[in-house]
Amino acid sequence: MFVSAPDRRLARDLDPAALAALSALAERTRPVAASRTRLLPVAPALAGLLPDGALRRGSTLTVGRPGDDGALSIALSLVAAASASGSWCALVGHPGLGAVAAGDLGVDLGRLALLPCPGAAWAEATGAVLEGVDLVVLCPPFAPRPAMARRLVARARERRAVLIVVPGRAGWPEPPDLQLQVDEATWEGIDGGRGHLRRRRMTVTATGRRSAARPTRHRLWLPGPDGTVAAADDPLDPAA
Amino acid sequence: MERLLVVRCPELLEEDEGGAALRSFAGVIAAVEAYCPWVTPVRAGICSLPARGPARYFGGEGALADLVQEAAEQVTPAGVGVADGLFGAVLAARRGLIVPAGGTPAFLAPLPVAVLGQDDLTALLDRLGIRTVGGFAALPDPHVLGRFGAEGAHAHRVAGGRSGELAGLRQPRVTRLLAGDTVDDTPVVAEPGFWGGVSDADTRAARCLAAAQELLGPDGVVTVRLQGGRSPAERARFVTWTAGGPQRGAVPGGARPGTATGSGAPWPGRIPAPAPAVVHPDPVRAELADARGVPVQVSARGLLTTAPDRLSVEGGPWEPLSGWAGPWPSDERWWSRSRRRGARLQAVTARAAHLLLAERGHWWVEATYG
Repeated sequence: MFVSAPDRRLARDLDPAALAALSALAERTRPVAASRTRLLPVAPALAGLLPDGALRRGSTLTVGRPGDDGALSIALSLVAAASASGSWCALVGHPGLGAVAAGDLGVDLGRLALLPCPGAAWAEATGAVLEGVDLVVLCPPFAPRPAMARRLVARARERRAVLIVVPGRAGWPEPPDLQLQVDEATWEGIDGGRGHLRRRRMTVTATGRRSAARPTRHRLWLPGPDGTVAAADDPLDPAA
Repeated sequence: MERLLVVRCPELLEEDEGGAALRSFAGVIAAVEAYCPWVTPVRAGICSLPARGPARYFGGEGALADLVQEAAEQVTPAGVGVADGLFGAVLAARRGLIVPAGGTPAFLAPLPVAVLGQDDLTALLDRLGIRTVGGFAALPDPHVLGRFGAEGAHAHRVAGGRSGELAGLRQPRVTRLLAGDTVDDTPVVAEPGFWGGVSDADTRAARCLAAAQELLGPDGVVTVRLQGGRSPAERARFVTWTAGGPQRGAVPGGARPGTATGSGAPWPGRIPAPAPAVVHPDPVRAELADARGVPVQVSARGLLTTAPDRLSVEGGPWEPLSGWAGPWPSDERWWSRSRRRGARLQAVTARAAHLLLAERGHWWVEATYG
């Protein structure tokens, strides 16, 4: 960014140690704001789900399936890393957040605002929150009209926030930039009255738009034994 | 009426601007909590605790009062008193007395009516020639209600030692500031912004959350803080969001270290991690049955009467269980009237894993591992 094309040729002639020192210096002096303008970090286990390996600001995701098992966990795990690195998060329309689970996933509870029961004003409240909060997880209490949904998506794009919709039973009429769907979830750790729930193996399908339109499947431990998210194994082949 | 021990710190009765008095009062409460975890702040400089249990443990009310006074005086001069009901105990603390059980009416009787703290009533009684609490208490009930109204009738019950709760005795604001609102011991390291201080993201978030609060009311935007507890619901506390951020706490710097509710304390009977992602604000009714359709119950010994096989939530269709674990019996506050007995069970269906609670003869879905 600071070196022009002829300088870069010069850099190639430098010895590797000096080059490493220079690049470390460049990393340290890189403008912080610029690096944050486009992408928000996610946990390494989730990077494979996202086309950019991180959450793109201004984009909208939906998480869920009709059964809705695990959707909130995925949404929380998506916001965790960004929240830990200083971004604010909001959860709109979910009256029963398991705060301990959110904290275990890595969400910084000091930067998490909850709007548990926004009632009829949920869309307006979501719009207001999108103005200044980087990541908004929205659980709409009822299916919004397409125009309403479009307005929220446009607001997120304009304010460079990430809107994560957990549609639940209400549904979401707008096609998102990325759709995450839980195909399968199995709990481990209990057997006929013995043990306790230890971890859940989850298969998640990600369907994007344009270049990412081909669905990819990933296996996750969500939550793992310590409540965090981990990759269960290598990503599966793209779904047939 | 409950035996109460009251600690009264004469130097901390007035709140000052910087909150220094409240901070030292928080220190008093922390010191007294060594003898009983349920210390309730009544108003600035005055707190109470139930005396019966601790007195039995520490060898009598006199011994307990001495111990508590000693602990409180590490922080500030304090008077300690024991009586039946809060009103009597506060007056006893002012005089450093231990009023024997049942002796509270006799203790109150010679005191002037003004101790009831109701100026209109005092003036009126004075004109009637009634100057002591005992004289007021001797008036017949129906006449008091007719002559002095509901408030007078309530003061009459207090004067007669039948109630300890006098209107205006408690300062709920102080209670809110101090009770349960344990300010974190660890200073929160806020990420500094480019120029130091509050980061730009914090400022922007504060502005839009205030806007949302304007739309939904102050309680429409909340933040959450973790605390100690057994059930998932107990382990989180939701507080109204304020622009200063929850980290600042209600009492500036007024930490109460070492309280029993700290998240580091052990909680026997807590369900092991991972924690459920959804905690239902109001537990949902559920039915649990075995393979033949017989309802599953928890015996007095905390065992299941039969093996669970299917689950129905909120009157919904029966769903077969693919697995279950438990029960984890919980018997909370078995020594007091607010005792809660129950047992928790993890139940997995094809759609979800639930944390069930058996209490009051029914099953409830307390949380869902959503």
